[in-house]
Amino acid sequence: MSANYEPNIVAFLCNWCSYAGADLAGTSRVQYPSNVQIIRVMCTGRVNPLYVVNALQQGADGVLVSGCHPGDCHYMEGNYFARRRLGMLKDLLEFVGVDSRRFHMSWVSASEGHKWKEVVEKTVEDAREAGPFEGFRRRQIDW
Amino acid sequence: MDLDKLRETAAEVAAREDVKYLIGWKKGSYGYRVAPGFVEEAEGAAGLIFSPLCTANLATYLTLVEKLPLPRGQEPDKRKVALMVKGCDSRAVAQLLVEKGIHRDEVVVIGCPCPGMVDPDLLGEKYPETEEPAEVKWSDDGFIIVRDGEETAVPRDELLAEKCRLCRYPNPVISDIMLGDPVDTWDPAEDEGVSEVEDKDVDGRWAYWQEQFSNCIRCYSCRNVCPLCYCQDCILDRLNPTWVNRSVNFSENTAFNIARAFHLAGRCIECGECERVCPANIPLGKLNRKLAREVRDKYGFEPGLDPEAEPFQASFKPDDPEDFIL
Repeated sequence: MSANYEPNIVAFLCNWCSYAGADLAGTSRVQYPSNVQIIRVMCTGRVNPLYVVNALQQGADGVLVSGCHPGDCHYMEGNYFARRRLGMLKDLLEFVGVDSRRFHMSWVSASEGHKWKEVVEKTVEDAREAGPFEGFRRRQIDW
Repeated sequence: MDLDKLRETAAEVAAREDVKYLIGWKKGSYGYRVAPGFVEEAEGAAGLIFSPLCTANLATYLTLVEKLPLPRGQEPDKRKVALMVKGCDSRAVAQLLVEKGIHRDEVVVIGCPCPGMVDPDLLGEKYPETEEPAEVKWSDDGFIIVRDGEETAVPRDELLAEKCRLCRYPNPVISDIMLGDPVDTWDPAEDEGVSEVEDKDVDGRWAYWQEQFSNCIRCYSCRNVCPLCYCQDCILDRLNPTWVNRSVNFSENTAFNIARAFHLAGRCIECGECERVCPANIPLGKLNRKLAREVRDKYGFEPGLDPEAEPFQASFKPDDPEDFIL
């Protein structure tokens, strides 16, 4: 691992809570690591667990999925489904040998700019400890 | 089990007006082989058997059958399909009912209480496959191998298949007709295969699975044989979006195996068919059983027991565990 290694994090944020929370962190000028690439989705319930696998294949060192707190989902129950599915995925990834520090899930509401900062710091820190994830990377074919 | 009674019942069912055909097991072409038998007329039932070699899960034929579009004006054949099931197979039927993959009116379930199957690989190692007809029978405390006119008694533990050692439901959970009396259930063995992998550290697990997955030739037998992998539009066949690339390498093989195992989370009924058909001998059952164990321990859910249950991944409880959330 080189000394100036910076992990790539892919974050799937729900439109109604976490994306707004990240936006709030921005407008409040909260400083947080710039390693996260945010992908906005309408709800964490529409995050197919294969998105996480695919992100890791395409070169992410860590993946974060963040949505509304339970009970606060804009679509009433999307985050409950996500919690069940992604919880299972986390168990499976761990069993297959993907470091549990590479995949995180969090609840960040629209008013929690500071919590967003903490979540990102924790995710980046964990991914940095786990190191670059070369083993799972999709082979790049340049024709 | 009384074979005469089985054949008699099968003949009766096959002769019924509202039954299209009956699926059971029959003797294969040589040696220990057992093949699925499709009985359309009552006479065909005479060839049916039920022995410790009937490992195949016939529930897969319920969804495997090709449903071609009908010519205009032709009525669909609404007759039922009769199916012989062991304990594990009956759970597959129950899970198909949960998912509305089949309708209860479309099947006649003939339950066969199952004292445990032999592992074909173990059997072949000790008593090699022959071209002459050979068979295996149950005895009171094990199996009897009939081969070259000789009978050899073998203790149960020596040849019992892994899935049967771990089996908790040897008696069919749903059935219309039950053949014979329920067998005594036995204490399921400790699942050492899964625990052994769990006990490794992260790198050890990754190395273990990379070694296994690197053997995968992506034949998709595991998907095709699985009674619960029956999507018309499977992600593995799709090109747009390409969920999993078709190239055979570490990355794609791992992604495929994760996807396959995940799609069976909370659905797999542990019939062990995927592992049996795998030409590369990948221990796919470990992945499935690991997820089944998590689902059972953390969510208190077991698939394929109650046909009225909610599908695991399409439902939730407000108090699902969330200790992994930051």
